[in-house]
Amino acid sequence: MTAQTIQESKKGRRFRLWWQSVWSRFDDVPLLGWLVGALVAVGLEYAVGRPFAQLLGMRKSPALFGFLFILKEPWLIPSAIVYVAVMYILPIAAVAKVTAAVANKTAAAMLRISTLLSVAIHLVLLYAVLHIWTDVLPYRLIVVKLTLIAIVITLSLNVVNGYMGEFSCSHPGFISLGAYGASVVTILLFDDPGPWLFPLALIVGGIVAAIGALLVAIPSFRTRGDYLAIISLAFTFIIKSFMENMEFVGGPRGLGGQPNWASLPVVFVVTIIAIWVINNFVRSILGKALNAVRDNEAAADAMTVNTRRTKMTAFLFSAFWAGVAGGLLAHVLAFINPASFGLQKLAEVLAMVYFGGLNSVVGSIVGAVSLNLLGEMLRPLEIWKWIVIPLMLILMMIYRPTGLVAFKEFDIVALLQPKKTTKGDE
Amino acid sequence: MPLLEVKHMTHFFGGLRAVHDFNLSIEKGEIRGLIGPNGAGKTTIFNLITGVYTPTEGEILFQGQPIVGLQPHEIASRGLSRTFQNLRLWRHMSVVEHIKMARYSKLTYGLVGAFFDTPERRRQEEESDEIAHRLMKELGISHLADQIVTNLPYGAQRRVEMARALATEPDLLFLDEPTAGMNPEELVEMMDIFRQVHEEFGMAIFLIEHRLRVVMELCERIQTLVFGEVIAEGTPDEIQNNPKVIEAYLGEEDIH
Amino acid sequence: MTYFLQNVVNALQWGSFYALIALGYSMVYGVLLLFNFAHGDVFMVGSYIGFFVATGLVGLSATGIITLPYWLILVLTILISMILTSFVGMLIERVGYRPLRDAPRASAAITGLMIGIILETLNLIALGAERYKFPELLQSQTYDFMGVSITNKKIMIVFVSLLLMYLLNLFVMKTKWGMAMRAMAYDFAVVPLMGIPLNTIAALTFGLGSALAAAAGILFGTAYPVMDPYMGVTIGWKAFVAAILGGRGSIVGAAVAGFILGFIEIFSASIFPSTYRDLIAYSIILLILVFRPHGLFGQEHTSKLRL
Repeated sequence: MTAQTIQESKKGRRFRLWWQSVWSRFDDVPLLGWLVGALVAVGLEYAVGRPFAQLLGMRKSPALFGFLFILKEPWLIPSAIVYVAVMYILPIAAVAKVTAAVANKTAAAMLRISTLLSVAIHLVLLYAVLHIWTDVLPYRLIVVKLTLIAIVITLSLNVVNGYMGEFSCSHPGFISLGAYGASVVTILLFDDPGPWLFPLALIVGGIVAAIGALLVAIPSFRTRGDYLAIISLAFTFIIKSFMENMEFVGGPRGLGGQPNWASLPVVFVVTIIAIWVINNFVRSILGKALNAVRDNEAAADAMTVNTRRTKMTAFLFSAFWAGVAGGLLAHVLAFINPASFGLQKLAEVLAMVYFGGLNSVVGSIVGAVSLNLLGEMLRPLEIWKWIVIPLMLILMMIYRPTGLVAFKEFDIVALLQPKKTTKGDE
Repeated sequence: MPLLEVKHMTHFFGGLRAVHDFNLSIEKGEIRGLIGPNGAGKTTIFNLITGVYTPTEGEILFQGQPIVGLQPHEIASRGLSRTFQNLRLWRHMSVVEHIKMARYSKLTYGLVGAFFDTPERRRQEEESDEIAHRLMKELGISHLADQIVTNLPYGAQRRVEMARALATEPDLLFLDEPTAGMNPEELVEMMDIFRQVHEEFGMAIFLIEHRLRVVMELCERIQTLVFGEVIAEGTPDEIQNNPKVIEAYLGEEDIH
Repeated sequence: MTYFLQNVVNALQWGSFYALIALGYSMVYGVLLLFNFAHGDVFMVGSYIGFFVATGLVGLSATGIITLPYWLILVLTILISMILTSFVGMLIERVGYRPLRDAPRASAAITGLMIGIILETLNLIALGAERYKFPELLQSQTYDFMGVSITNKKIMIVFVSLLLMYLLNLFVMKTKWGMAMRAMAYDFAVVPLMGIPLNTIAALTFGLGSALAAAAGILFGTAYPVMDPYMGVTIGWKAFVAAILGGRGSIVGAAVAGFILGFIEIFSASIFPSTYRDLIAYSIILLILVFRPHGLFGQEHTSKLRL
């Protein structure tokens, strides 16, 4: 990585020191504290957000921290800042700081009882925050759902492009297969489908995608080189063209009317399962074999690693999750068409993976969340958005070619640990 | 029954004969040496036996079983491990991860374990971790456990490679110029490690070396390879006094 | 039979577009070992530049200051646009690829994709959603040749592209710069050691490839006058696949495979419903690649879009 020496201006340095001193006051806040703070904040917004927004001269609560109207109604920017400060920043900071001691004790106690319990409680809190936050405005709900799905897609692609170090372009094809596969199950196969069918439909979508992946993997992994990049690209084109010619799924017009089963809890749970399973995989020796194959295949082979099986498994596994995400996507949007799984989608998913960081679960979460939220927040820029986001990515590639949070392990237990206070007491 | 038996192995690269009628028999616990000038085909012989290439002709028996045509990882899992001349480490992985990786074929938890973090997986991963730490301690690299290998000095990288090869629990260890690029102190340490490994685990070693001092001191029998053919075989003393060897090898190479 | 010949003529025309664009992909791969994913959009930019140059020249002609015949306008348009577009190509190399010379190649691939998006968006911003129509520089004439109708446009397109390929071949084979390019394709690491400036060669390669893409864009505009900002996506990516089919880095391969792709497309569309065209074309290419992993004329590469 090129170490970039940035000459800091005096002002910039002062700001950084100030920022550090502010931030260091929160050194002792564990994740639990932040979550409780966020819960209080969204609860506050839920209760008084709307009248408060109107008091500040806005029609309703700003959907995404005020970003959506800063260009159209710039005179509301101060109001938006006040709103964000009063509704989010102050309550979160205050609650996090006040409860820090209790939160630390609780976090420690929970971990002592069982890691699972601690994880579960954190997840319930996280879900509650999302639930209340999205309940205020329907627009937020769709943004959060799409972001969660993007996490699954990004993470699954990172397995191949990051952990395995290949360059796969077939993800739009897999997402498409999953979306169509799941939709066929929920729309076409049954007369009177019930929501119980949904998990099955998602799994079917995943399996269909994995079967598609087999078609790519068998020829691709026979030889070394950037062979997969080409075959997978052709695969994406083929799937798109194939779907356009399948009249029973609507051909180029697409397929609509998916039942409304992809509710927030469902999407949340699937995303959590995906993160958990993928993180388990990449942290196991079997999963780390991907890194060995990437960094030196001959050495991996000599150290008893079955390289071909490793690559095949990971590729199918990645495709499976892309398919599951596709199934979710189809049911969130209640409409899919072949054209939406083309090169545009490819650029989008690649951008999230490489922006967030290769070989990193956290990186993929960061990449998916930041690019998705950014995409929504930059909506007011209209078409200029497609200049700003690509430019950001180019700069990222120049200054951090492997992405924002690359090559980091995602250690859940470390994340949930209580934080030591600055005074040094337990 | 010898541990490894190579009979009449010949190999062509295109029209070029790289190895001609190579024979070898290594007993359990033996230390063997293979010397020869650059380009003589020493590494090719390693690659042929370990399955990187399939020999054009000939037979290879490891522990009585034919291994020609098997994949390198299959041969390695049967107990034939190796190091590489030009250190093939995994540049993004830490030392302890390197050694644990070599436990791959010993793991039985399968994909279910990999995906769902089962108790069985935890048990096996912990066991691999213990083995890795034991090996690091023996090779004196415990303090480097969590370092990424590319940050390590050359000597330490050599040790990591050695530890990694040992973690596959080999009966026979192929070392491809394991002291290349080492300074005299490191060389002495490394030779101690070879002896220690040999005595402690009782494993057989097949060694390619450039430095005659290492081979002469360690090996019981030595073969000399020139242009893919064995021109002499014998004890260190015999080799040192063999006129053919002196002509082909000692005459032109730097003796350390 | 006439139907067959008619298809051959059409295939030659489409093949010309693909071949000219594919050459750009292949040359860049040969020299820098990376796929320039923005190249399809360079074709689009070239076509638009051609549009403006042609419209400008026609307008200039109309004012009466200098009256130019239409054939001369066409020639001038091709030449001027090739030069201007080659600057665009060099700019892309300078801004998007040179800073990433030592970065993983996958990062460069991402940069290329993003530059492509930027070019498309800039076009939309500058010109809006309106579809521009390429001025008709060549009065369409249809010759009937044994029942096969051949337009003078088709003849011109095939002729110009073959001429350009011939000139490219001369350049690569006979000149010092061409030799340096080939040396680079042969051994990337050694060439800079021999006193050949890598940056100049890289810029030159991008420039040449972009010039060819511009020519393809103008020829495409004369045949199919309605242009849109995403024409580079649809046509360009197919040309990319052709470049792969020809063998990465092989100039002859790219030209031949471009025509092969033209033939596959035209003939599959004449036999099957035209909506199956892409499906069949890509499936055939995939099959060929399964059996000839390194393409028709390519050499084995163990390199990888490496981390």
